[in-house]
Amino acid sequence: MSNTKIIRESLKKRHLAESRFKAYGILGIISATLFLMAILSTIYIEGKSAFKSTYIKINIFYDPSIIDPEGTRDIEEIKFANYRKIIKNSLKNYFPEVIGREELKNLISFISSSEEENLMKAVLENNELIGSDKIVWLKASSTIDVINKNPEMKNLPESNRLISDQELVWFNKLVLSGDVKFGLNKDFFLKADSTEPEQAGILGSILGSFFTLLITLILSFPVAVAAGVFLEELAPKNKFTDFIEININNLAAVPSIIFGLLGLAIFLNLMHLPRSAPVVGGMVLALMTLPTIIIATRVSLKAVPPSIREAAIGLGATKFQAVIHHVLPLAVPGIATGTIIGMSRALGESAPLLLIGMVAFIVDIPGSFVDSATVLPVQIYLWKSTAARGFVELTAAGVIVLLTFLILMNALAIFVRNKFEKKW
Amino acid sequence: MEKTKIESKKINVYYGDKKALSNITLDIPEKKVTSLIGPSGCGKSTFLRCLNRMNDTIDICRIEGKILVDGEDIYDTKLDPVLLRARIGMVFQKPNPFPKSIFDNVAYGPKIHGLTNSSDELQLLVESSLKKAGLYNEVKDRLNEPGTSLSGGQQQRLCIARAIAVSPEVILMDEPCSALDPIATAIIEELIDEISKNFTIVIVTHSMQQAARVSNQTAFFHMGNLIEVGKTDQVFSTPKEKKTQDYITGKIG
Repeated sequence: MSNTKIIRESLKKRHLAESRFKAYGILGIISATLFLMAILSTIYIEGKSAFKSTYIKINIFYDPSIIDPEGTRDIEEIKFANYRKIIKNSLKNYFPEVIGREELKNLISFISSSEEENLMKAVLENNELIGSDKIVWLKASSTIDVINKNPEMKNLPESNRLISDQELVWFNKLVLSGDVKFGLNKDFFLKADSTEPEQAGILGSILGSFFTLLITLILSFPVAVAAGVFLEELAPKNKFTDFIEININNLAAVPSIIFGLLGLAIFLNLMHLPRSAPVVGGMVLALMTLPTIIIATRVSLKAVPPSIREAAIGLGATKFQAVIHHVLPLAVPGIATGTIIGMSRALGESAPLLLIGMVAFIVDIPGSFVDSATVLPVQIYLWKSTAARGFVELTAAGVIVLLTFLILMNALAIFVRNKFEKKW
Repeated sequence: MEKTKIESKKINVYYGDKKALSNITLDIPEKKVTSLIGPSGCGKSTFLRCLNRMNDTIDICRIEGKILVDGEDIYDTKLDPVLLRARIGMVFQKPNPFPKSIFDNVAYGPKIHGLTNSSDELQLLVESSLKKAGLYNEVKDRLNEPGTSLSGGQQQRLCIARAIAVSPEVILMDEPCSALDPIATAIIEELIDEISKNFTIVIVTHSMQQAARVSNQTAFFHMGNLIEVGKTDQVFSTPKEKKTQDYITGKIG
């Protein structure tokens, strides 16, 4: 048999193996894409309703006898007036048939308790309101919100429905009169956590994450780049530096919760830094991110062609000058990419932060590095573990916000790499 | 009588356990071109890189013996290799301009050593260096373009200009034409001839024709040993050693 014949006969098999491999690859990509789409669409479908909430239209009478019985317009007086009663009276006018004390209590639970404060603020801003009537849209409580968002629940038997038959009648009356609408859920973007789902917001944890990551970046980036440059370019290669290198690589693989334990033991118990504070969270995450950036720095430095180093050294540059002037600038895209990826890992991290107390229920928006705060993934965890119905969609909405930030950061990483990669 | 610029005495070089050079004793005359020839792996590049202590950057490399430049031991612990490399410039096998502008490439050496006092002075130095490297007329209108945008031969001349800008006493060239086409090679060879009036040049080359064309002295290396050294004419016309004869006639190598 001639060689040509042997080769021709084997060709079919060889090409077949290639197309089989291609098919596996395509299959893998398709299934991964499908799973991703399934996850994203579930989250989107579940979470999108958290961005809007139900509002109820009511004619509010700013009753002077409740707000300012003495007519002094004293700020303290206005602040501590019983706005709940104002809402109650307005609802009474809307539903004259409701008279029982218990029934009225149920009726007023239609309105989110946050509206009492909003009314108070409106009056503080504009004293003229006192004694006047005004049509306002008040935010509904989460129970009503859930019913409004899931109309099919109205058909459930009373025991499974969250609201009683009577309440449903009232709600239907409101709907029929066109006094129920969906509006943008501003509280979600402007507030921190709350026990009431309709009042809980993501801003607190976004700022918590921001402060934490800022500390992480400030602490880890310079140290890691300096360490990477030293180890890769300047340090002598001996057993000791090998030992350090192995340890850094191991550190990158250490489960993050271990760093949390370290933070608890050293930063909180030994150094007595404030609990739940972004500064401590940032320090813990910096420790976790350090090895990632060091490794990225070393890999990027290694990828710079040695001829550039030789050119500089051959001209009489010191090792340090060669690195700072020529090698490091060429490694910047890789280092930046590694840093951003490390930071997005830190953004998604929750375990170590649980241990240093960033898991607390915090209703105030953090204003500094030492205020108690929580972070996005922990906020999601907190909402997920809360039983009330309205938190389900909040959880999904939190995931959407977190994923959006992660995608933005990764896009930034790609942009930085393409922008600063020198192709000349 | 010509003056000796570099004397090497009984140089042994080891890479880890492997001996790369043994007992090399070779004198380099001042303001002449010395070529180092020999088959791949014979140690000629290693020897060249001993002369400006470039081998220091290789951790496993160990050097024994003495190298004297103007009578001064360059492996003396008191001598700073940075100063040495400013005195002994180097041009590498593959053109390796910095990924910066043509101007910055040439200006880099003078800048780090602080050789000029003003930007005008630097400008003049860059221009004169480019002129000496025979590149000025080709690039004078685009000094701000990246050095890597030039052709291979131009890049290599840029590297020579970059070395010249520091005004070294010696220029080491490690197979400077191996990545270039014959025309670019011819230009570089002419340039070597031109600048050898002012600089001592040591060139490693694979091409025996090139060695014959550009050098005054030729040293033949084989398997880590210096087999023969002499005036280029003599080495190529009447080699004393059989191995040299075999190599230049193409029997080994």
